[in-house]
Amino acid sequence: MTYEEKLGRFNEHIALGGKVETQDWMPDDYRRGVLKFIEMHANSEIMGALPERECLPFAPSLQRKMSLAAKIQDEVGHAQLLYRVAEDLGKSREAMFVDLVQGRSKFHNVFHYPVHQWGDVAIIGWLIDGAALVTQAALLDSSYAPYTRVLKRICTEEQLHLRHGEDITLELASGTDAQREMFQEALNRWWLAIIHFFGPKSNVEKDLLLRWKVKTRTNEDLRQEFLDRYVPKIFELGFHFPTPTPHSSEDGHWLIKDEDIDWEPLNSIKKNEGPETERRLSNRRAIYEDHRWVREALSEPAVHAA
Amino acid sequence: MDVYEVFRRGGHKEPFEHCGSVIAPDSEMGLLMAKECFLRRREGEHLWLVRRTDIHSFKDESLLEIAADKSYRFAHAYRDVVKKRDKARERARELGETG
Repeated sequence: MTYEEKLGRFNEHIALGGKVETQDWMPDDYRRGVLKFIEMHANSEIMGALPERECLPFAPSLQRKMSLAAKIQDEVGHAQLLYRVAEDLGKSREAMFVDLVQGRSKFHNVFHYPVHQWGDVAIIGWLIDGAALVTQAALLDSSYAPYTRVLKRICTEEQLHLRHGEDITLELASGTDAQREMFQEALNRWWLAIIHFFGPKSNVEKDLLLRWKVKTRTNEDLRQEFLDRYVPKIFELGFHFPTPTPHSSEDGHWLIKDEDIDWEPLNSIKKNEGPETERRLSNRRAIYEDHRWVREALSEPAVHAA
Repeated sequence: MDVYEVFRRGGHKEPFEHCGSVIAPDSEMGLLMAKECFLRRREGEHLWLVRRTDIHSFKDESLLEIAADKSYRFAHAYRDVVKKRDKARERARELGETG
């Protein structure tokens, strides 16, 4: 069978809702695209652990500190699952780590920003994990089946994180003026980055991952679901939004005008030039070097059992 | 380092189910990693680890197709049993009347 014939059959399989397993034939662009996508997701889980780790000293009680530490461990665990799926597509974990710490690969925009106080944990846990859950739940039906199987587990844990974040939010929202201010101030700083999180409007014609159903929904569609779900909850708690401000439409949606969104910060982050990119990557590099002895000790069978 | 496939059993009435894989230098470390990755919340009461190269499967999945019509192996082959029951009862009634 020629490459074109194989490609034709693959496209037909996908069009009919078919799934792809690691050992199946797939076009090179599909393999490359899925690998890059999952690698970026894995990078984001592991880089996402860093800002939250920086928040640990802000925890108001031992209980809060322990639950946040457990949540951070979950995020690192997600990275482990995702790197494993990506590895099976032909790139070693070593190569992915090196690309990450050298700044050659990407991670989600929200993890390029600094953290300041405990209110940031509420925003990350509730709104950023909420945004992540909207996008990840949409991927549960992705055409690349091994990815969907680990996502199932990841989404279950993210749902717990969402509760954890909402719990912290509600504590601040029902607390003192200073506590409420803590949340509002964090919301003001994070809101634009959360809107950026979903990315600019998808190019349905050109986006191969959409065409091959690796991604199932457009960026703007996912952002809309997030806005409709979370904007009323935030208003209900008596908080308000900075620019870009959501407006209610006649048919019951919460809309943000595209021209109200300043995309410049996202464009810098895409070039790995965000406010905290360099510091976080050097942090990750230091951890990677510090742990070298662990990897080396593990690379030989049974030496640890001697 | 080897790839190990991880299987987890939720309870004694459940079968083992595949839940993912880990890379480890040996099975002992592999089990430790599998526990951290897949059982942080006691999601199962038992774990199996199998080296990926020890798993055998069909290279050609079309070999899994049933070679010929074997509908007699399925319940739907017997779905007109209700009609047949009526017919048999009818026949028995006939015999009752004549005999």
